Amino acid sequence: MDSIELATSFAITRAKGRGQQTVTPDDLLVGCLHSISRLGVVELGPWVLDLEAMGVDWLVKPGAADARVSYSQEAVDVLDRAARIAGADGAGSIEARHLLAAFAAEESGLMADLKRTYGITSATWRAALARNTVSTLEAARPVDGTGEYLSPEQAAGKLGIHVQTLRAYVRSGKLPAMRLAGERSIRIRRSDLEKVLEPLVPES
Amino acid sequence: MSMFVVKRDLPGVTPDVLHSAGLRAKSCCTEMTQEGRPVRWIRSFFLPETGQTHCYFEAASRQAVEEANQRARIPFVEIREVVEMTPDSV
Repeated sequence: MDSIELATSFAITRAKGRGQQTVTPDDLLVGCLHSISRLGVVELGPWVLDLEAMGVDWLVKPGAADARVSYSQEAVDVLDRAARIAGADGAGSIEARHLLAAFAAEESGLMADLKRTYGITSATWRAALARNTVSTLEAARPVDGTGEYLSPEQAAGKLGIHVQTLRAYVRSGKLPAMRLAGERSIRIRRSDLEKVLEPLVPES
Repeated sequence: MSMFVVKRDLPGVTPDVLHSAGLRAKSCCTEMTQEGRPVRWIRSFFLPETGQTHCYFEAASRQAVEEANQRARIPFVEIREVVEMTPDSV
């Protein structure tokens, strides 16, 4: 599942958990933030958005409830707006950042609370999303790492070492890495991982 | 599992709105499948000249397809069971 599918899945499960019959825009916003969160927070632009402050127990996987929920018309409107933003952005499909951008002008519900709490405006929200490329938002959450390029966390996982150890390898030049253009994030080519592995020669 | 066609009239619909509907359909099918009522959206054909859309789903019953579309809040005109034919099957 990619981030947008994780977001809608979490939104539906959240609506079920609330005992509601409809998925609301707030469910979509929480689902989207949850899909790109690490350890219960989302770092976006100058803000650290805390899922706990939004009433999300990020350590607990939402249980499956029996309720059958539908998308509310308001949620459909938000998704339609996200689709228009994705179209204007030249993207082939709706991504998490497009859905988040669809909330920029929202003046009610959870987004209004976030704007008040964090001093977010429509422009600063969109600017923060524009600075965070898809790759960094997607890489915010550990994925299976099946692509050619891996985040430090994914690469460390493949090698079975701590991410700080992996970063030390990169700093020392032991492991080649590349920086995403204009960003702090780095990527490691999968095929380079073997460069830090040496065959074990038994002592005679 | 049977195959069903969901016919829709969506005059004036934009590609963006179709993407949004597709995302909702996908998520609702996933949800119903996880609930133990498998529904799979196979593919859709959009006729730009008429605004008609034919969406093909695989499910155990017509009711399951109807519910997936209702949950996704995508309007439809009718849902019919279809028999699939491919060049390989004749």
